[in-house]
Amino acid sequence: MSGKLVAAIATLIARPDIGPALIIGAETVVSLIIVVALYGLARALRLGGDVRIADAAHAARLAEAASTGFAAQDITLDRARIGALVRNGEGRILLIRRHGARFVGSELTSHQGIRLDRHTLTLETGDRQFGALTLDLGADAQIWAASLRRLETVDSAA
Amino acid sequence: MIADLLQRAATTGLDVVPFAVPFFVLTIVIEMVWAARHDPTAYEPADTLTSLLMGLGSTIAGALVAGMIALAAGWLYAHRVATVPALWWVWIAVFFLDDFNYYLFHRAAHRVRWFWASHVNHHSSQHYNLSTALRQSWTGFPAFSFAFRIWPALFGIAPGMLLTVGAINLVYQFWIHTEAIDRMPRWFEAVMNTPSHHRVHHATNPRYLDRNYAGVFIVWDRLFRSFTPELREEPVRYGIVHQLGTFSLLTVSFHEWAAIARDLWRAPFRAKLGYLLRAPGWSHDGSRDTSDTIRARWLAQQEDR
Repeated sequence: MSGKLVAAIATLIARPDIGPALIIGAETVVSLIIVVALYGLARALRLGGDVRIADAAHAARLAEAASTGFAAQDITLDRARIGALVRNGEGRILLIRRHGARFVGSELTSHQGIRLDRHTLTLETGDRQFGALTLDLGADAQIWAASLRRLETVDSAA
Repeated sequence: MIADLLQRAATTGLDVVPFAVPFFVLTIVIEMVWAARHDPTAYEPADTLTSLLMGLGSTIAGALVAGMIALAAGWLYAHRVATVPALWWVWIAVFFLDDFNYYLFHRAAHRVRWFWASHVNHHSSQHYNLSTALRQSWTGFPAFSFAFRIWPALFGIAPGMLLTVGAINLVYQFWIHTEAIDRMPRWFEAVMNTPSHHRVHHATNPRYLDRNYAGVFIVWDRLFRSFTPELREEPVRYGIVHQLGTFSLLTVSFHEWAAIARDLWRAPFRAKLGYLLRAPGWSHDGSRDTSDTIRARWLAQQEDR
């Protein structure tokens, strides 16, 4: 922070006739500068890193974390390992995706919004916050697409 | 001199939080350097930015409504049934009382969806570091959370005392949001809230869900049977049961309020109040999970194994 800015803030704070709005304003500006500086430091230190799903066992643990008791049976990892599709014995399917330095999971309950393009599958869970995700599943993409198309049929039957 | 300071603090209130801000900043920097050396994933820059901006927004929101909370506390004090002098031992007693009130508030904030809607943002990070401590609510005032802390004014505790001890309580809770400290000495862990105890509180593991509500003294949890120790064989997973998956400030702040509004709109008339006052995750048709049902299912699975 430049000396002039510090002097200006000091003058503002020292004024006896200063209103509370100005004090809050000055505090907010200083706080914003500190917030941006800490964010910059976190980036400069390369915190967060580049996390990937290590293997199928890792994906199974992520699925269990996303939905308590979810026992993974079929697992396919995205080729870049930023996401995965996981199915349990009851036919429930969880979509796992990276979120910053962590992972989040959401259940696929409908085949709406699912698009197959050779080896990639674009998926929407119906949860707007979760968003859409495109996974490169290799040859497994077509197999998953076929089984995902049955999702609503399963729901209707239930 | 100390007696004068205490008397003045009782009259006008002494907000120690601004004095603690340099300490907050310095320790976050130290923890970031620690994370860079030991576990870079302990911090995520976007997550940190969200937490810090939530903290800043909370400060602004707090400044805007401080007058109204002071007015409410002042009104209670004006209609007090007794007058409690600001003696040194009264200060200590008020600190304990306020911490108990914090425990009550915090328990309600996890067990009543109306209060949870405001408190959930503090738990919405999947990280647990000092910046998470600053991820504070913007909507505590409309949720009437302050009511838990100002009622002693009616019994003659000066509002200035309540403000002062409340601020000290808040500052204490900052340092317990870290993975950098494993365990404190056994006597300290027995009495005080610590990083280990509070990691449990921020967990989504069924074993740890909705436990350890304490602010400063963990004794309240031990007393009211809401205490669970952190187990080395079960590492904590942080966040909320349905992780947000976004760093959006608006989503973090208002997602649960929006969900309540949607539920109130769609629910049958007789169930509407339940979506406001029952536990987070409750639904009239049983289609959702509360922390109790998640834990019960998990316990059943443990017994089957």
